[in-house]
Amino acid sequence: MDVSDILAAHSAKQKAVTVEKEIPLEVDVGFLTVTDLNPIDTESYNEDVEGYLKATARDGVQTLVSALFSLPTTSSADGPLAQLPPPITQLPRAKPLPKPKPPTKWEQFAKAKGIQKKRKDKKVWDEERQEWVDRWGWKGANKKEEHQWLSEVPANADADHDPSKAARDARKAKVAKNEKQHQQNLLRAQGTSASNVGPANSDRKNHIDRTLATTRTSTASMGKFDKTLEGEKKSKGVKRKFDPTEVSASAEKSHNLAILQKLDREPAAKKAKSSSGDNVLNVRKAIRSVSKGKGSAALARGDGGGKAKKGRR
Amino acid sequence: MLRTIKPKNARSKRALQAREPKEVEDPKTAIFVKGTHTGEKVNAVMKEMMALKQPNAISFSKKNTVRPFEDASSLEFWAQKNDASLFVMGQSTKKRPDDLVFVRMYDNRVLDMCEVGIEKWVSMNEFKTPKATPGHKPLMHFASELFDTHPRFIQLKSLLMDFFNGEVIDSICLAGLEHVISVSLGPTPVSLNTATTSNPLQPPISTSTASSSTNLPTVHVRVYGVKLLASGTRIPRVELTSMGPSMDLVLRRHTDSDPELLKQALKRPKLRKHDVEKGLGKKRKNMEVDEMGDLRGKIHVAKQDLNKLQTRKMKGLKRAKEAFDESGESGSDDAEGEGAHSRKRRKSS
Repeated sequence: MDVSDILAAHSAKQKAVTVEKEIPLEVDVGFLTVTDLNPIDTESYNEDVEGYLKATARDGVQTLVSALFSLPTTSSADGPLAQLPPPITQLPRAKPLPKPKPPTKWEQFAKAKGIQKKRKDKKVWDEERQEWVDRWGWKGANKKEEHQWLSEVPANADADHDPSKAARDARKAKVAKNEKQHQQNLLRAQGTSASNVGPANSDRKNHIDRTLATTRTSTASMGKFDKTLEGEKKSKGVKRKFDPTEVSASAEKSHNLAILQKLDREPAAKKAKSSSGDNVLNVRKAIRSVSKGKGSAALARGDGGGKAKKGRR
Repeated sequence: MLRTIKPKNARSKRALQAREPKEVEDPKTAIFVKGTHTGEKVNAVMKEMMALKQPNAISFSKKNTVRPFEDASSLEFWAQKNDASLFVMGQSTKKRPDDLVFVRMYDNRVLDMCEVGIEKWVSMNEFKTPKATPGHKPLMHFASELFDTHPRFIQLKSLLMDFFNGEVIDSICLAGLEHVISVSLGPTPVSLNTATTSNPLQPPISTSTASSSTNLPTVHVRVYGVKLLASGTRIPRVELTSMGPSMDLVLRRHTDSDPELLKQALKRPKLRKHDVEKGLGKKRKNMEVDEMGDLRGKIHVAKQDLNKLQTRKMKGLKRAKEAFDESGESGSDDAEGEGAHSRKRRKSS
């Protein structure tokens, strides 16, 4: 059996779809683009411009199509879909990259605590009606208590206690709280106020607490016989904190060394005096003190200071 | 500047959201603007270019007094108003007859501009062939070595690619490849040729300043229909038919992009986990997807140092000090679980 004919036919087929060029063509499959970096052949260009352009374009497109048809494909209703790799050429974007959304307070907390987000189903099963009902919204399950024909009344309830109104108020309060938190999150996300919200608030709270504590102890009895208001809390003092009795050897060593170093150092007050020397000496004050307020003339005479000193001793 | 609009209903909110920056961008919209005077030729060119760019094209029907190289403020306004980032401005003056300006925007600011003059123009209607379906992505073909070396042509290539093919897609229907836009240059002039070949280390910017734009070769833009013929192999054989339009362009003025702005514009989003697994990022080490589509990992465990293995301590197994010294070297490299036992045996023999 002679296979040379078959081989020749096959190679001829291959030849028809392959392109030989001096410099291999650059194909960017992601952008469906091919770049032919071979220099333009001036002779054939001058001979027949259109023909030459078409011929080079055909070669380029053949290379691109070969690259496209050898990509992995998935089938679809309209024919095979070639899966394109990401493009090589860098083209500028039209708009800047989107900024990541700042996390809400809950998201921050959940991240710190490692709480996973759980999606609640929108529908819940209603046992009485034997059907799925919305969790909220029109005829939602969260309004069940407001509409039930019989509801439990606590023993100490007021005479005008309306259970359905109480349930409705509780639900509305929840909504209002959520809206408030949403607004706070928006404020925080705006940035300028974001940095202020936390520290400023806590600073103010500390300040109020301190003022309150001061006023409480500012009576003649140091607050001991003051009338307390209803629901007033006992003011908390500062709790003493002690270091643990057992620490690691290295920590203890560094701690002790720090003490030694502190002792070794010249005291700051002394240092200031010694370093500054004469310049800082208040001459006028010194004369007054030595002459016992009689002045420099008395000091020069030799009386005053000496005698008084002796007398005192 | 436009005032910032606060959406009052859900529809306008959605419309504003669609305009916000996205990680993967929509195709860029092009606005076609006529200058103070446009000749018949420029009008026809813009109309047919718009046909190629559809459906992401907006046409301004009125004339506008715009000089993009002098004042780009109205372009910036239009870009913001129409959410478009490409402009084609047509104008015909005595000084610059049949003029087209391609403008590219980033973040509603002008990134770069390129002005071309139309020398020869053949309309789509001259060619009696079936035309490409509007909205189908064209193939692009660039031919000349200058597209790799000369800054003017690098910019032109980037602009044209952005104009016709800038959208990043992850798959394409192979049956839908209908037309190709071929951009070829005339023969490279000797001045450019020698400058680039004799002195390859010299930066190409200096050559461009030396040679004026009159020296640059003509740009031939041709649009061909693609016919895919069966070749007996998986890869079809390609035949081209002239579909039109075809134009010959000469480069005129241009502005380069501000390097700072370009750097911002070229920022890429961080690769997502899905893409990293597909093999786009650098982190794809020791990972592969087998033919069943499962992700398989390879773990490299360092060689265990068995000398540090703690075995049972017994007084009888303790070595004498000199025995430890002499078997120190040989004992260290035998990697066995019961190292101590073997050493004991050796000592007794």
